Amino acid sequence: MTRGDGSFVSSCVKQDDTKEPSPCVLVVLLMKDKINNIANVVVPLAFVSFLLVIWEYTVRWRSIPDWILPGPLQIARTFAENAPMLTKHAQTTLTECLAGFAIAIAFSFVIAFLMDELPLVKKAIYPLVIASQTIPIVSVAPLFIIWFGYGILPKIIVVVLVCFFPIAISLLGGLAAVDKDYLELFRSMQATRLNIFRMVKLPLALPSFFSGLKISAAYSVMGAVIGEWLGAKQGLGGLGAYMTLAQRSFQVDRVFAAILAVTVCSAALFALVCLIEKITIPWNRLS
Amino acid sequence: MPEIVVEGVKKTLGGLLTLGDINIKAKDGAFAGILGPSGCGKSTLFNIISGLMQPDAGHVFIDGRDVTGRTGRVSYMRQKDLLLPSLNVLDNVSIPLVLKGWPKKKARAEAEKHLGRFGLAGFQGYYPGQLSGGMRQRAAMLRTYLFSSDILLLDEPFASLDAITKRQMHAWLIDVFYQIRPTVMFITHDVDEALYLCDKVYVLSECPTVVNLEIDVPFCRPQHGRTIVDPEYSAIRDAIMEALAI
Ligand SMILES: Nc1ncnc2c1ncn2[C@@H]1O[C@H](COP(=O)(O)OP(=O)(O)O)[C@@H](O)[C@H]1O
Ligand SMILES: [Mg+2]
Repeated sequence: MTRGDGSFVSSCVKQDDTKEPSPCVLVVLLMKDKINNIANVVVPLAFVSFLLVIWEYTVRWRSIPDWILPGPLQIARTFAENAPMLTKHAQTTLTECLAGFAIAIAFSFVIAFLMDELPLVKKAIYPLVIASQTIPIVSVAPLFIIWFGYGILPKIIVVVLVCFFPIAISLLGGLAAVDKDYLELFRSMQATRLNIFRMVKLPLALPSFFSGLKISAAYSVMGAVIGEWLGAKQGLGGLGAYMTLAQRSFQVDRVFAAILAVTVCSAALFALVCLIEKITIPWNRLS
Repeated sequence: MPEIVVEGVKKTLGGLLTLGDINIKAKDGAFAGILGPSGCGKSTLFNIISGLMQPDAGHVFIDGRDVTGRTGRVSYMRQKDLLLPSLNVLDNVSIPLVLKGWPKKKARAEAEKHLGRFGLAGFQGYYPGQLSGGMRQRAAMLRTYLFSSDILLLDEPFASLDAITKRQMHAWLIDVFYQIRPTVMFITHDVDEALYLCDKVYVLSECPTVVNLEIDVPFCRPQHGRTIVDPEYSAIRDAIMEALAI
């Protein structure tokens, strides 16, 4: 009797131990999680800092002049001093980006819809879409300036050219990858083509569409900068123009400050697209 | 009368005579099983019955009317649930009503009435990605039911489920069947599943596919969940196995 009681108690305790970890174990587990999170931030930061330190050190040790390669500290100082100017130019650049981006998205939707619905259109246009990607932007951007002047239009066109391909291809791929059983099911329920596109194809293609959108978001700033770069003298400004003018007067620290600003803008656009993706595809987070 | 008659259907796919000559019938309120080897054209047969595909010869009659090659009378449920990940359960199952032109609100209200019977009460706001495999299949079946409530075409609906869930789904399906009394055609490659659920079983051959055996099952849909001990069970099972050439 006593023995039975004893074993009962001991087995109870044992179960308790295995099922619910003791506070001590919990703390360790939580810490492990936290340490992992911290490591994800700390490791890349540490590596970048390491590179920056080497850069700074090399510049000073070799006494490299500022007009050849300034050190990161100098660049940071220039960035801070020119912040108002850079912000103004960044606004111009971002305006061109967003306009070009929006046009590229609208254009991609129209083209992708037509190509997906009409096989003949797909056959006719697909090579052109691919060709649009092979155009060397640097060689056609001056033509846009000749044709459309020094205003905002040629820059927007460059952004559209850069962004269109990734968006259109990813959207088309997403539409084409929709399981044909879905289409048959909806056809058997007498859904119209428009309904099938709206209810089935488009939502199922959204994740793929957004992966193209993210690539474009990162590229779009580069497109605008190239457009500004080529029409820098008489243009509206923008980070590309600022960069070119700084380069021509050997203010390399300003070139780097502008590069930093371009990177910040690209990252911000990328983050914006990620945010929009989270809002538009809420079901992705649920499963 | 929700009765399905498939008469002399032939179909060549990709140069291969797939459906040789199929004659199958599901009477009003019947639960007809279709057994056959993989690739013999069972899904093709459902594509023809639902009007997605035109047969090379033969006819499909539903309610005594010739509906060969015309969609709109019946839809069918597949092994994949094919729920839209972008819509919640309620919106997913009300799709057929919306496609029939019902206003969204009314369609939702109508669909909501049936959630309980299909074991989905309380889950209307969930997205498919949040549901178990069994629940997703029940939602897919409810969607099929809301398209045509008197005829259900089920193409291996439980093939992707684990054995225990499958058994639970059988018990549930039997229960629902007695409540709504539809005419059912049920494709499966599981002999025991067919014997458990169907009151008539058609066994199909390899391509070119014909009906090898047509057999009545007297002991189907038992009220208990245990093994069927009817003395005829093994005889019928053996006959089916032989027709399948196993
Ligand atoms: N649209 C099609 N075109 C050509 N061949 C097809 C088509 N659909 C199915 N098949 C072929 O027809 C045969 C029967 O397919 P299916 O009806 O899906 O078989 P089951 O459902 O019995 O496994 C298979 O060999 C398949 O590859
Ligand atoms: Mg099949």
